[in-house]
Amino acid sequence: MTAIDLSLRVEPGTPLLELENLRTHFKTERGLVRAVDGVTFTLNRGESLGIVGESGSGKTVLSRSIMGLLPSTAVNHGVVKFAGRDILGLSSKEMRHLWGAEMSMVFQNPLNSLNPLMKIGKQITEPLKLHLNMDKIDARDTALQLLRDVRIPEAERRLDQYPHELSGGMRQRVMIAIALACGPTLLFADEPTTALDVTVQAQILDLINEQRRNRNMSVILVTHDLGVVAGHTDQIAVMYGGKLVEYAPTKSLMRSIPRLEDPSHSRLATIPGRPPDLVNPPKGCNFAPRCLYAQPKCHVEEPSLTPAADPAHVYACWYPVGTPEFEKRDAELQETGYMPDDISAVS
Amino acid sequence: MSYWLQRLGAAIALLLAVSMLTFGAMNLLGDPLFNILGPSAGDTETEEGRQIIQAAKDEYNLDDPLPARYVQWAAGFVTGDFGVQFGLDGEPPVSDLIKERLPRTLTLLIMAQMMAVTLAIPWALFSASRADSAIDKVSTVTSFMFIALPSFALAVIMKYLFVIKFEIFPLIFNAADPLASRLWQMVLPAMVLALPAASVYQRLLRTDLITTLQEDYILTARSKGVSKRNVLFKHALRPSLFSFITIFAINTGALIGGALIVEQVFIIPGLGSAIVEAILREDFPVVLAIVMIVTAGFVVMNVLVDLIYSIIDPRVRAS
Repeated sequence: MTAIDLSLRVEPGTPLLELENLRTHFKTERGLVRAVDGVTFTLNRGESLGIVGESGSGKTVLSRSIMGLLPSTAVNHGVVKFAGRDILGLSSKEMRHLWGAEMSMVFQNPLNSLNPLMKIGKQITEPLKLHLNMDKIDARDTALQLLRDVRIPEAERRLDQYPHELSGGMRQRVMIAIALACGPTLLFADEPTTALDVTVQAQILDLINEQRRNRNMSVILVTHDLGVVAGHTDQIAVMYGGKLVEYAPTKSLMRSIPRLEDPSHSRLATIPGRPPDLVNPPKGCNFAPRCLYAQPKCHVEEPSLTPAADPAHVYACWYPVGTPEFEKRDAELQETGYMPDDISAVS
Repeated sequence: MSYWLQRLGAAIALLLAVSMLTFGAMNLLGDPLFNILGPSAGDTETEEGRQIIQAAKDEYNLDDPLPARYVQWAAGFVTGDFGVQFGLDGEPPVSDLIKERLPRTLTLLIMAQMMAVTLAIPWALFSASRADSAIDKVSTVTSFMFIALPSFALAVIMKYLFVIKFEIFPLIFNAADPLASRLWQMVLPAMVLALPAASVYQRLLRTDLITTLQEDYILTARSKGVSKRNVLFKHALRPSLFSFITIFAINTGALIGGALIVEQVFIIPGLGSAIVEAILREDFPVVLAIVMIVTAGFVVMNVLVDLIYSIIDPRVRAS
């Protein structure tokens, strides 16, 4: 069997992952880039969390700084606890024992994330030999089983093939097999389906979810595609400008995306403008400069996460839907017939 | 299969073209008769002079048209008969001269390339893994120094330092010494060739390694828990070797040029000194033979490089 249980001796009640005010800054010539700027959440074993946000919102950096995979130009502050242990600031030498063994990552582009000059088998057995001290034969058998687990046809033959001989979807399955090899407790999936065919996307997500249930593993799914997180995560965290701006059970957040029942040819609402400059973030709410509903207060004071009616749902906004200020502005916008994708109206 | 046949055909065509050009140029630009006989080539006044001229013309088939002479030469060349030297009363035959000189230059080149590679790979790995650190900058300056320094200057400096000042290496090459001591006498000259070559290789390999280290699959390897050292050796090195190998092959040609100078400074009677002397005498059977050998060596190197590409990269093998 492949599911070698390396489960950490997590005290019942201790979350697998705890983040407290995690900040990741990059020193650049332009100044300090606040890629992740104060993120707090907890994740229990077996749970899955979707991190969504537009490009440049810091979601990929967040997942990499939790894992400690960022280049040395990144400076981290705050607390990251993995199974109760503080892991932020550990050297890569110390982190190496967690990488692949306790936490692993599936990357965005399966075409580039496998070594093109190394046979599939060798790439899967590498962490097995490294962390579980398997010999060649055991490692190969395990690799074969892993390939079958991720449902790769003709698994035996694949072991001796090179990545270029496999399709994109199969390569992502191989990536997942590699990530699962040593039975990690936490899996990061960084836009695992962006580079894939729509039909393959669902299969890959189902596969990750199925493995999560089988292995009682936690998953952090990073994506800009709300559809991806919809059916596959328990919680959703929305990031904007390096900050967590909303955190909610998946069910309650999903009401805010377009649906099939909407009349056809209705124009999709887009957000004008670009993500904030993370070197000189705007004063007040990061989103205010692009927000159609921004009020004077939004440009001055930064909102903090406040619980909604359902306390599991928190958000950072001064005037969310339902407040009088929001409704008033909404009525104004309706009147002027403003199209949200008309950038000139904002600037 | 047909690919390698094509390569073979191209190699033969190249050798033919080079030999025709060299043969034609040397015959048209100089007067072979003068090169053979010296000043007496103009002695048409006396009967004796005319006889000598006729004898030389007969011996070297100089009355035949140029294409016919080329064919004669080529027919001899492929059977290993490289013709007769013009100077020195035609002794020894060119093939004997080559047999004596070639092994020395070949040893020098192989030794130099081996040194250059063994130096360049660890050097590149070291500086690429510490890109832009202080030590990497020192290494960059050092490598540029070796590249910029003319080889005769480096040769003289090394000879002064290691032979005269510290007396580590022997002063002269002695063809009569046993093999081991002859090899030892070659070490310093090979080093003079190797240092600039290693610097060029290091520059290229370092740049390619830095590019490779940005690749997603390097991050994958790190996220599997592979140590930094093994990421470099097992994941980054192999995909970074391509331009290095290409330059390695091309540089072999440049090294032959460098060997010419090094052989002069260290007084090693090799092909380099042979071709210099031959050019000065316009002794073109010798020049031609050496040009052909260098060209053939170059062609073989390039085929080897293609072979190595396909060993390194399975994607090359497939296409």
